[in-house]
Amino acid sequence: MKDAGRTIVIIGASTGGPRILDRIFRDFPYMDLVIIIVQHMPDHINLSLKDKLAGYTGMNVRIAEDGEIIENGSIYLAPSGYYLTLENNRIIRLSSDVKSGYVAPSADAALQSLVRREGDSIAGVVLTGMGFDGAAGISHLKSIGGLTISQNMETSIIHSMPMAAFETGCVDYVLSPEKIRDMIIEMARHHK
Amino acid sequence: MQAGSDKKIMIVDDDPYVRVVVKEIFEPEGFEVVSAESGQQCLEILEGSGFRGVILMDIMMPGMDGWETIREIIRRGYAKGSVIAMLTAVEDPGELEDWRNITEYVIDYITKPFESDEILNNVSDLMDLIPEN
Repeated sequence: MKDAGRTIVIIGASTGGPRILDRIFRDFPYMDLVIIIVQHMPDHINLSLKDKLAGYTGMNVRIAEDGEIIENGSIYLAPSGYYLTLENNRIIRLSSDVKSGYVAPSADAALQSLVRREGDSIAGVVLTGMGFDGAAGISHLKSIGGLTISQNMETSIIHSMPMAAFETGCVDYVLSPEKIRDMIIEMARHHK
Repeated sequence: MQAGSDKKIMIVDDDPYVRVVVKEIFEPEGFEVVSAESGQQCLEILEGSGFRGVILMDIMMPGMDGWETIREIIRRGYAKGSVIAMLTAVEDPGELEDWRNITEYVIDYITKPFESDEILNNVSDLMDLIPEN
């Protein structure tokens, strides 16, 4: 059966991220798209963040598992301590082979695993956070024709991650959380 | 630590004024507030307490600073029931190197001075992330 193509959005966030995820996903409707959230966090809050998101979005929220085939209408939360990647834009892979000194999950690892695939619409978003995770991923995404977004400075609690993404010169849009939400919804609506 | 309110916060700050203000904001809202005036005292309070709540951590403190205290909290395994937020006058630590390897433990960042409504809302949101027993 021919694959109809997917809308896939990968969101990277670190310090201050949960507050911004609230603003993006509160009352977010069920839509035919796949969202992957790469939030830097200790493993003891994976489940509580999943439950919090599930409490206010219409999407199905789950903690990603190795080997899962992505399903529309789902938000996958990358578990702590693993690099989440997508195989051929469809299958979730989790690897615990984490480079020393690097944070896991990693927005770079997730974004850099995306490939150009006919019929797919792909986007990457870098939100507030310390460090520079997501910048290399945004450059990669731009090189394969994806849509790239960073959170604006006015609403970023910590500037360094979205700023690092912006400084790559590969960011298409610099937006507030509410505008990021609108753009994700528009993207899904136009992918028919 | 005795069982009490299920809404617990710890304020770690060498400035007594900040500790008092945080107490005055949160206690009327039903929070149990524990104060520590140094990183060392924070660790002493956490030891064996099974603390479950939000830890508001100042960065610049004499002796053990906030980053070092967080590293020690993680190393000693005291972080398992808590969510840590920096509460600091440093507006953006982006240029500092100190966050390396602990970024995933610093869930939020609240700058001083703060409005009482703002800090109440932020901490209430963080309470949702405290894992269940």
